Amino acid sequence: MAGRLLLVCRLLVRDLRRRPIETILLVVAISAATGTLTLGLALNDVADRPYERTRAATAGPDVVARPHTTGQRALAALAPLTTSAGVTGHSGPYPVAFLVMTAHGRTVHTVVEGRDTAPARVDRPVVTEGTWVRPGGVVVERAFADALGVRAGDEVGVDGRRLRVLGTAVTTARPTYPYAGWIDPDSALVERGGLVWVHRADIATLAGARPLSYTLNLELADPDAGAAFVDSATTLHAGELSTWQGIAEQDGRLVADAREALLVGSWLLAALSIAGVTGVVAGRVVGRRRRVGLLKAVGAGPAMVAVVHLAEYLVIGLAAAGIGLAAGLLAAPALIRPSAGLLGVVDTRPPALSTVVAAVSLAVVIATAATLVPVVRAAFASTIHALADAATPPRRRRWRVRLSRRLPVTLLIGIRVNARRPRRARLVTVNTLITTTVLVAVLMNHAQDEPFDLGYTDLVDPRAERTDQALLVLTVVLGVLALLNAVVTTWTAVLDARRPLAVARTLGATPAQAGLGLGVAQLLPAIPGVAAGIPVGLGLYTIVGPGELRYPPDSWLLATALGVLLVGAALTAVPAMVAARRPVADALGSTPA
Amino acid sequence: MTESVLRARGLTRRYGRGSGMVRAVDEVDLSVPAGESLAIMGPSGCGKSTLLHLLGGLQRPTAGRVWLAGRRLDTMSERSLARLRRDSVGFVFQSFHLMDELTAVENVELAALLAGRSPRQARRRAGYLLDRVGLADRADHLPSALSGGQRQRVAVARALSNEPLVVLADEPTGNLDSAATLEILRLFEDLRTEGQTLVVVTHDSRIAAIADRMITMRDGAFADDSRLAVTAPVHGGWR
Ligand SMILES: Nc1ncnc2c1ncn2[C@@H]1O[C@H](COP(=O)(O)OP(=O)(O)OP(=O)(O)O)[C@@H](O)[C@H]1O
Ligand SMILES: [Mg+2]
Repeated sequence: MAGRLLLVCRLLVRDLRRRPIETILLVVAISAATGTLTLGLALNDVADRPYERTRAATAGPDVVARPHTTGQRALAALAPLTTSAGVTGHSGPYPVAFLVMTAHGRTVHTVVEGRDTAPARVDRPVVTEGTWVRPGGVVVERAFADALGVRAGDEVGVDGRRLRVLGTAVTTARPTYPYAGWIDPDSALVERGGLVWVHRADIATLAGARPLSYTLNLELADPDAGAAFVDSATTLHAGELSTWQGIAEQDGRLVADAREALLVGSWLLAALSIAGVTGVVAGRVVGRRRRVGLLKAVGAGPAMVAVVHLAEYLVIGLAAAGIGLAAGLLAAPALIRPSAGLLGVVDTRPPALSTVVAAVSLAVVIATAATLVPVVRAAFASTIHALADAATPPRRRRWRVRLSRRLPVTLLIGIRVNARRPRRARLVTVNTLITTTVLVAVLMNHAQDEPFDLGYTDLVDPRAERTDQALLVLTVVLGVLALLNAVVTTWTAVLDARRPLAVARTLGATPAQAGLGLGVAQLLPAIPGVAAGIPVGLGLYTIVGPGELRYPPDSWLLATALGVLLVGAALTAVPAMVAARRPVADALGSTPA
Repeated sequence: MTESVLRARGLTRRYGRGSGMVRAVDEVDLSVPAGESLAIMGPSGCGKSTLLHLLGGLQRPTAGRVWLAGRRLDTMSERSLARLRRDSVGFVFQSFHLMDELTAVENVELAALLAGRSPRQARRRAGYLLDRVGLADRADHLPSALSGGQRQRVAVARALSNEPLVVLADEPTGNLDSAATLEILRLFEDLRTEGQTLVVVTHDSRIAAIADRMITMRDGAFADDSRLAVTAPVHGGWR
């Protein structure tokens, strides 16, 4: 047993060391997919933890009540709640006005809450800069302050009245900006806006003629019984009741789109990664066949042959899983930019077990999916055939060969090169299909970008901002993977086609024709990929995207399609030209017949 | 007469079908007693390699039966065949077939490790065998740093690793110049003297000359089977 283990490890180590570039390519391809998946899964986790930490620090309420009515009727509706069964404490009711605030020349919807200077029993916002409320000043919720760019000491106008910013604070009694729950007094519709606190004595003046709303914070004996409490309290007609879990979820919405984009994206990347790994593995199979024959000749059974081969890809897969996990977890806090509305740095350590399991499984699935077929085939291949050093004889597609006889030389060479290796041509198709799909989905997302209405000013939508960041990450990772795949397939095509091209040149094809032919060989299978990628990308976005959709102009789609093809062609051109310029005799001599 | 180590009855291997069918090995009967060294000669394409592969369980016959040490090979599972190859058969190929990424000694101990020997046992045996083929000082060289003759001697050492019942060699000197051929020749002669059962396919009459018995093949069948009484003329000439 020890001896066999030694053998497996020895072959593994030697092989990894002998082909560092291929090993790196494989690791990059697999870790790209696992990294993106980790990022998507971690965002979920990341979004929850700061909320809970802030809730603990601010004595956050278990349930918040907001009556639909105003003034005395609102206070009357809230009164029975404080004595309901299960309620162990409360703060408020606090007066609330839905106003507009002007800061640095921008006017935005603002929920203004009147508070006392003394800390309350429930919901004690933690001051992160400056001081807590006192008459004549305003404290701005931190994420809101962040978006507006205001600091303690700045001056803002609330409904035309000038107030000094005393500080910034965080709370968990309301979702952070922009989901503070601003209610349009005319339509009663909830719109996006931020939260500020003023002294209770100031609010009537600020609200002017407008009737005041109220909010009441409740503490329950059992913080997890919020939902049951809300159900039982409906008979009291106290207005809208929100549990802390509901508020946390709304905070999480900030990253919901980003998360979805990353999760869907990670599956696409996984497919791309499988395509890439398959390409690399296929390139090594030729070299592997001889080793398989040899192992079998000295008495290795099918299981041993399979283990020797799988072990390597498994190790690569696990290494890539580790790298992907680390990269995803490191990138997650940066992407979520610890929502300024919540306390503390985002801490993803230790990662959730489910995230680790998912990332490792994905890596192992990619590694084995791409290698299983060649490994199984190798394990049961005829020893003699394997030892003969022969690669699978190129398949001839008779119709293609016949068709190509009528075509110009370049096209003819291109078609024949692909007819030799249909599987590689399919990889090119998959590669361009996925690339185009993601690019089109990103374009679709871009087309949805609408001005973010915060009353009178356009401010960046933090949710869209995060989605854009996620898509940017996705696009960059995808770009790297797609380029990598393109280089791998081109290069294996070049190596594989050296001899036939050399033969073509002895028969009179010019180096330029041969090189272009190789380029055409890569371009031809890319065309269906690009053509299919456009509807697939549009369809995908339709499935996961928001309800009402706007479509990007046709010219953008066309430009994307042409761009993918052009980049592909450019990538192919260099190695193809280099290969085509080599002297014919060299090429003829360099590969075994 | 001693018990046959290798025995074949009506052994046949065909390739292709219909008019394109090739009878690579055609109804061959053979028996190789323990300790015999047998040379197989014949024109290119007459089926020598195919016969050797059938005898060593590297390939399955289309028809007929093969026994190695009394066990039927043609009906064995792939796993049992693999076990049989590592325990009872040693192969030597024309193109050496060493693993490029393993050193000489690692190549030699490959079979022993596969057979489940402990790393230390395997290393000791490999060291002994390399010494035997005169390459003790090259143990840690990669095949790429060895001459053709040296590579083939490593391959012979590997074939002997598990003390096989029979060594099957397919044109072991086919890729070697005459000096290297002599080295291999000497090695095979030693094996013969020690009573190692040997089947060698060769084009080289010097190799054939050290055998106890020579078979000539033509079109997949035996054309001539003769017992050689004389010892090889080269013997002693350079010993
Ligand atoms: N995989 C195969 N498919 C079809 N025919 C084959 C195959 N392998 C061998 N043959 C044919 O079987 C016959 C015997 O081949 P074999 O390799 O055994 O000959 P050989 O005597 O070893 O020749 P050489 O001395 O050239 O090595 C040949 O005619 C060959 O063409
Ligand atoms: Mg042969």
